[in-house]
Amino acid sequence: MTMRLGFVVQRYGLEIAGGAEYHCRLIAERLRRHAEVEVLTTCARDYVSWANHYPEGEEDVHGVRVERFRVDRPRDDGRYSEATARVLGEIARVEPGRIDPAVVRRTTAAEASAWLDEQGPYCPRVVLALRERQDRYDALIFFSYRYWTTVHGLQAARRPALLVPTAEEDGAYRLPIFPPLFAKASALVFNSPEERAMLEGAAGRALPGEVVGVGSELPTGMDPEGFRRRHGLVAPFLLYVGRIDRNKGCAELFDHFLRYRRESGSSLRLVLIGKDVLPIPDDPAIVPLGFLSDEEKWDALAASLALVMPSWLESLSMVTLEAFWAGKPVLANARCDVLRGQCRRSNGGLYYATYDEFREALSLLERSAGLREVLGRNGRAYFEANYSWDVIERKYLDLLSRVAPEVGRGEAASPAPASPA
Amino acid sequence: MSFEIKSDDVDVAAIMEAIRKRIEEKKKGLYTDEEIKEIAEHRLDAVLDAHDFNPDLIKDFRTDPARWNFLFDPETIYRSSRGPVGKVLGALRRVLRPIQKLFWNPNPMIYALSRQSDLNNYYVHLLHNLSLELTRLNLEVQDLKNRNLQLQGRLEMLARREKTLETMVVYRDDDPALKPKNE
Repeated sequence: MTMRLGFVVQRYGLEIAGGAEYHCRLIAERLRRHAEVEVLTTCARDYVSWANHYPEGEEDVHGVRVERFRVDRPRDDGRYSEATARVLGEIARVEPGRIDPAVVRRTTAAEASAWLDEQGPYCPRVVLALRERQDRYDALIFFSYRYWTTVHGLQAARRPALLVPTAEEDGAYRLPIFPPLFAKASALVFNSPEERAMLEGAAGRALPGEVVGVGSELPTGMDPEGFRRRHGLVAPFLLYVGRIDRNKGCAELFDHFLRYRRESGSSLRLVLIGKDVLPIPDDPAIVPLGFLSDEEKWDALAASLALVMPSWLESLSMVTLEAFWAGKPVLANARCDVLRGQCRRSNGGLYYATYDEFREALSLLERSAGLREVLGRNGRAYFEANYSWDVIERKYLDLLSRVAPEVGRGEAASPAPASPA
Repeated sequence: MSFEIKSDDVDVAAIMEAIRKRIEEKKKGLYTDEEIKEIAEHRLDAVLDAHDFNPDLIKDFRTDPARWNFLFDPETIYRSSRGPVGKVLGALRRVLRPIQKLFWNPNPMIYALSRQSDLNNYYVHLLHNLSLELTRLNLEVQDLKNRNLQLQGRLEMLARREKTLETMVVYRDDDPALKPKNE
């Protein structure tokens, strides 16, 4: 008997290129080989306003049946901001990722629920549809713990359910509505051991589940010389891929990098790939290339000296894993436990918490080709061992067979790899 | 299968430890970044608050320098404060000055103390001007902060207005009541 899986996620579409939604799409497309997969989601494309963008109804996306439902009301920024200040503290409104622990401790479940309604996407139709048809699924898989669709969908679930929390160290998981939600899931699919420790700390007990993560759509070849030629890049460069945003640590990166160049006399460039929502310093050493195709991104990775990941709020960082696969070392922000953990476990990257550490680590990477080569080799081996699709699929199938033992395990019945330490 | 990759060639944790040691070596005796940040964040309340600042400080200082500074000139060490007796005593000291100089040379001391008294005057002027300038800058920063807040408020209001208008357009397209009747 073929297993039937229902996915619930806040947004879904080919245009959504990053984050938990992309993660969800990759997993759904992979598990389609072993099960019948359906996705229940909203019509939203923009994660800030949740404005209805996609038409309501069914669509086939890369062979996966997707059903979308209209969001009842878009997010009101002002009200959401006020609710955030009320439950996470005023600091959370000013600096995303920071919270006032005293305010969080005082927050009641009712206040947290009100905050969740403001955050959205407020889409009762997804929950109604799930209630009506969930018996046709052997198991449900929910993505991103913090959204309305996940919280209310998981509460309505009668079937075994996996929760992929994709939690960041932003403090929201401490709100009183979330630890009971983690307990409601049959098992959690963590992105990293750090994420697992963080959520178990909030829940006050061990949570059932596995550290799994996600694979990536890998290229068949990379053209570093072509990339250099196309963009006129002669000097070696450090690469950043992602949204160019203060909340991603880019402002600090610009400061550190320009200071490093001034102090060391280095000719290194900083190449940026991604949409900018932060003014980029007008300096010839910083080269913004805007949003590029996946193919260009892989070529850029192959041409770079190393990837820099300055964000301190990451649940997994797929681009870090992609750099590992491309055999490039990573220079990561040590204030992000997940990134620091990935670098240490893989022996594939260095990390920094202060400018001094940034300077020393970058200088070491710039000077030592041997070190770059060994770090790159380690990163690649780490990726192959933990994030190749065979490994990811086996882990999902193993978890599904544990939470829904009455159903078959599909085609790949070999045992899943051991849990991470 | 192990989640951790062991490499004989490289140990990232050891490299980072070596980097931190190297930084500590370089910074011995210097403030750390955190300490510098903490010092920079201290407000110079007594100086920077405009209402606490005394603009007549220099005038006071000039009017009554004895209140602020010690007075010293080459004759100070021979003077006495005991009225007519003191005057005789002073004259006697000046007569005996050549003999006294056989035992020690007071000139370097006289020079140092005179110079220190002058320096004190300069410092007071300098500090006064610095305080004045800091107070002025503080008021200017406050003014800029207020303007920034006003602009931020206006920006947020415009963003909300834009979002509301966008939402209205979305709903209008979907509202069957607003569609032309011949459709």
